[in-house]
Amino acid sequence: MSSGQNFYVVLLPSVSHVMKAEKILIAEHIACKIIPVPKSISSDCGVCIRLEENMVEKTGKILQNSFENIDIRLL
Amino acid sequence: MRCEIDARGLACPQPVVLTKNRMKECNEIEIIVDNETALENIKRLASGSGWSFENTVSGNNFKITIKGSALQTSGAVQDIRTSCSGEGTVVVFSSDKMGRGDDELGAILMKAFVHTLATNDTAPATVIFYNSGVLLTADGSGVTDDIQILHEKGVQLLICGTCVNYFKIGDKIKTGTISNMYDILNTMNTSARLINP
Repeated sequence: MSSGQNFYVVLLPSVSHVMKAEKILIAEHIACKIIPVPKSISSDCGVCIRLEENMVEKTGKILQNSFENIDIRLL
Repeated sequence: MRCEIDARGLACPQPVVLTKNRMKECNEIEIIVDNETALENIKRLASGSGWSFENTVSGNNFKITIKGSALQTSGAVQDIRTSCSGEGTVVVFSSDKMGRGDDELGAILMKAFVHTLATNDTAPATVIFYNSGVLLTADGSGVTDDIQILHEKGVQLLICGTCVNYFKIGDKIKTGTISNMYDILNTMNTSARLINP
């Protein structure tokens, strides 16, 4: 999409989890973006959090304190 | 065989669908349409099918004659429909939330909607923002990159000036045209389809 940069998505069990995770990441000044779950990942109606590659490691560490199952995938 | 089609007064995609159907039995078709969108769609259909075309303008109407050596017995009408589906579509953001019920959920849904709109193959002609919808256009909304993509695709972005003043976000808007009620109403009036998420 932009300048060939790799994006990752954080998949969580429900929209409530996504809302909570977004708040946590914004408070931690992590650049993130809510997008629909890509069709290639799931045909269900859902939202997920998109990250830039350089934020993946930090995000994983932050979110593992609040969530049990975090699935971060390359978009 | 030579055929004639009078497609005046028909909404998109009817003129092009009628033409496509007649291309199965006629190798020369004269079509009269009353709008440029229909004309362009028929031209695209003709050249996509390897047919030649010639058009003339007479008053408010366009006359186009298409000719082909081979009858068109295959190909889906679906393919043609997609070529006109985005034209005349206006998306109206009257709120920064999608739907009514839970505002927090509505905010999340709206972010996903704007992203989908920006990355979709078919772009609307115009997007209008008013009331709290204008907040989507301001820095920090989480969707300004998507709004920039819409702008780069040539989508007209009309942002209610009264609302921008009310929310005091004039200095946070980087993309779009600060607009007024006249333009907003006229755009809605002339649109083929209004979408209000």
